[in-house]
Amino acid sequence: MDGALTRFVRALRMADVRVSTAETLDAFRVVDLVGWQDRERLRHGLAAVLAKSTDEANAFDACFEQFFRFDDFDAGAQPAPVDDETQAYPTGNETLPTNDQADGSMPGDSQSGGNGVDHRESNDLDAGDHDRASTAAPVPLDPVDISSPSSPLGRQLMADDRTALSIAISSAARQHRIEDIKIFTQQGLYTRRIMDTMGRPALIDEIIGLEAAHRPADQRLGDELRRRHDRLRQQIRDYVEGQFFIHADARGERLRMQMLRTTRIGNIPAHNDHLMRRMIERMARQLIAAHTRKRRITRRGTLDVPRMIRKNMRHDAHLIELAWKSKRIDKPRVFVLCDVSGSVAYYARFMLMFLYSLGEVLPRVRAFAFCSELAEVTDLFRTYDLDEASRRTLAEHGQGGTDYATAFADFERIALDDVDRRSTVLILGDARNNHGDPRTDLLRKIYDRSQRVIWLNPEPRAAWDSGDSEMGRYAAHCHQVNACGSLAQLDRVVSDLLRRVS
Amino acid sequence: MTESLIPPAADTMTSVDQVVAALQQHRYIGSNRIATVVYLAFHLRKPVLVEGPPGVGKTELAKTTARMLGLPLIRLQCYEGLDEAKALYEWKYGKQLLYIQMLKEKLDDVLGSAATLSESVQRLHQHDDVFFSEDFLEPRPLLKALRETKGSVLLLDEIDKSDEEFESLLLEMLSDYQITIPEIGTIGAAGPPPIVFLTSNNTREVSDALKRRCLHLYIPFPDAKLEQQIIQTRVPEITAELRRQLVAFVQALREMDLRKTPAISETIDWARTLLLLNIDVLDADWVADTLNVLLKFQDDIDRVEPQLATLMRRVAARG
Repeated sequence: MDGALTRFVRALRMADVRVSTAETLDAFRVVDLVGWQDRERLRHGLAAVLAKSTDEANAFDACFEQFFRFDDFDAGAQPAPVDDETQAYPTGNETLPTNDQADGSMPGDSQSGGNGVDHRESNDLDAGDHDRASTAAPVPLDPVDISSPSSPLGRQLMADDRTALSIAISSAARQHRIEDIKIFTQQGLYTRRIMDTMGRPALIDEIIGLEAAHRPADQRLGDELRRRHDRLRQQIRDYVEGQFFIHADARGERLRMQMLRTTRIGNIPAHNDHLMRRMIERMARQLIAAHTRKRRITRRGTLDVPRMIRKNMRHDAHLIELAWKSKRIDKPRVFVLCDVSGSVAYYARFMLMFLYSLGEVLPRVRAFAFCSELAEVTDLFRTYDLDEASRRTLAEHGQGGTDYATAFADFERIALDDVDRRSTVLILGDARNNHGDPRTDLLRKIYDRSQRVIWLNPEPRAAWDSGDSEMGRYAAHCHQVNACGSLAQLDRVVSDLLRRVS
Repeated sequence: MTESLIPPAADTMTSVDQVVAALQQHRYIGSNRIATVVYLAFHLRKPVLVEGPPGVGKTELAKTTARMLGLPLIRLQCYEGLDEAKALYEWKYGKQLLYIQMLKEKLDDVLGSAATLSESVQRLHQHDDVFFSEDFLEPRPLLKALRETKGSVLLLDEIDKSDEEFESLLLEMLSDYQITIPEIGTIGAAGPPPIVFLTSNNTREVSDALKRRCLHLYIPFPDAKLEQQIIQTRVPEITAELRRQLVAFVQALREMDLRKTPAISETIDWARTLLLLNIDVLDADWVADTLNVLLKFQDDIDRVEPQLATLMRRVAARG
């Protein structure tokens, strides 16, 4: 079972749960303590060491459900008609009644009865199935009526030992390295390979032979074997599909995300919106983790006497260095001016989403949107969720041609007084001013007052200063100018911003 | 962990089921998950990071565990600006200064016969760090927890309120159960290492380094069934029907958009209030009068009051 745990950890990593080697070792110790018998307990125990946040806990739960599906084979199985094979395995008959008892006495409870490990793996759902199987079991069949199979897989099928079958399936799957499955269409291939490894060719030969035989008992066995063969194939297909979702789906999404990161935002088809959202959230989370609040020790407030005496021990207890009790949180301020005219709107949306996802590390973001006239949209983002707020911003302010001169004039009127030397001003726009007066003097004013003016241009550098773009003239009045066409570039700019302001 | 390090009360810790029973015996009704994590924390000797909304019994879990194991509970309330002098240890600087003053003559005796400066220094060195020994050390909660010879339960409450630096300070303690004091050296646990609970309300994300060293436990609001059990244990005098009604009402409140959702502690308080007022059946008037026990903001009360009738109907429907 150790292999199963290692593979589970691998699946978790695919699902973006970060699991370190030390945590994997802890997981092994947990399994030693809790055991494999009780599924719920195993889940709680593993979750405690492997999932470290609420996000990860959700991912963990989904993954666990997919990975440890003990009911796979039992739930799908039909009540099996008893044949002479069953009589040959009295142990199999013994475990069933005890299982019934356990279920009967504690309905809905986790099975803590002392059954064999194999049967305790099952949960309530298939416990019910056991009941049905055992009540439906004593269909009287004359042992002479059916012959016994000769191929190994055939014997296994007729023995109807679900646990043995499921173990055989997963070990065959392991031989074919099912965890490497990449694309949807490979499922058939893997199903086939697993069946072949389990001994399908011999079984098929036998079935064909039996169906052609003259003895009714042989024919009956042939029919029964074919039925069970089909059922097995279905089970394996389900198993492969489950494995596909665990191993490949996450990887596929990761590939898509990787691609989205570097693609120019304008070129990304709209149906990827939700994926973009998730990416932005994830990028924001990473940035938040990297840039948590920094505190600066101030030079005022109450003296910390003990600390001061300790600190001055080295000066023979003469008080030379002072130590203060209070610490001040340095809160930077960010002003974002977004061009929301048609050409840039799409970028503005993601930019705003990104900045507001950073609420934890960037508590004081004020956002302004403009085409020609500029208006503050900070309140929109405070009232509505990100999607709604950005939609409203675009709808309310996104008409007309771009006029940077008016926008800067408006900004001067509305908010320039609040800009101080700890403020960062972010301007997102393509600097295409429709041949109007660029009014660089207004930008200069912002430049003089603020700590940094950063201009983000979604166009590639080569397109700057072509046609009606005034980028070159504006750039002279910015501290920093960046091309910002893809999420990767946006990420770089914002993380740079955080490093400076926080 | 070797057997010898396990405290005598460990017999309640031999299986998860026993932990559930023991917690229950000490009037803490917890989900299977909580018991599993306590069981693991005991055997793996890893700290537990308990997260969840306020009032769901995070602190209570640590207290109950301490009672259950018969170990002393050492509690450290975290806040902004908490530093090692308050959490780990502090030198008794006053005592140090006083001793130096008092021993001045003795020092003269020791050094008096020394001919040269270097000889005096040499002699002083023979007495080494008398003033930086454990006698001059004021143990704070973390060091105190390590010094308990029978083991202890250490509760670091609201770790999210402390600073980043303090979290880093904890790392040595949490992973190796030791504290390094530069003047003395490394101090390890005197007995079995303490069982550590850290609680967090998620006002800020706790650092990854800390999370990695802990078992992670999230305690959500309980479902109706569990909450009824909790009320039954905590306020046993209340009638079954009233218990059902009040739990249903609180559960309905939790679905509303409130500034501060009522937690278990509020439900318990409310149950006690109703008991005190001798109320047998919940009606809208009584609820309106006692709503301030459940809701702590006037905004919330204003929002709930007009909808009381609807809420009461839903409570009735659920029965």
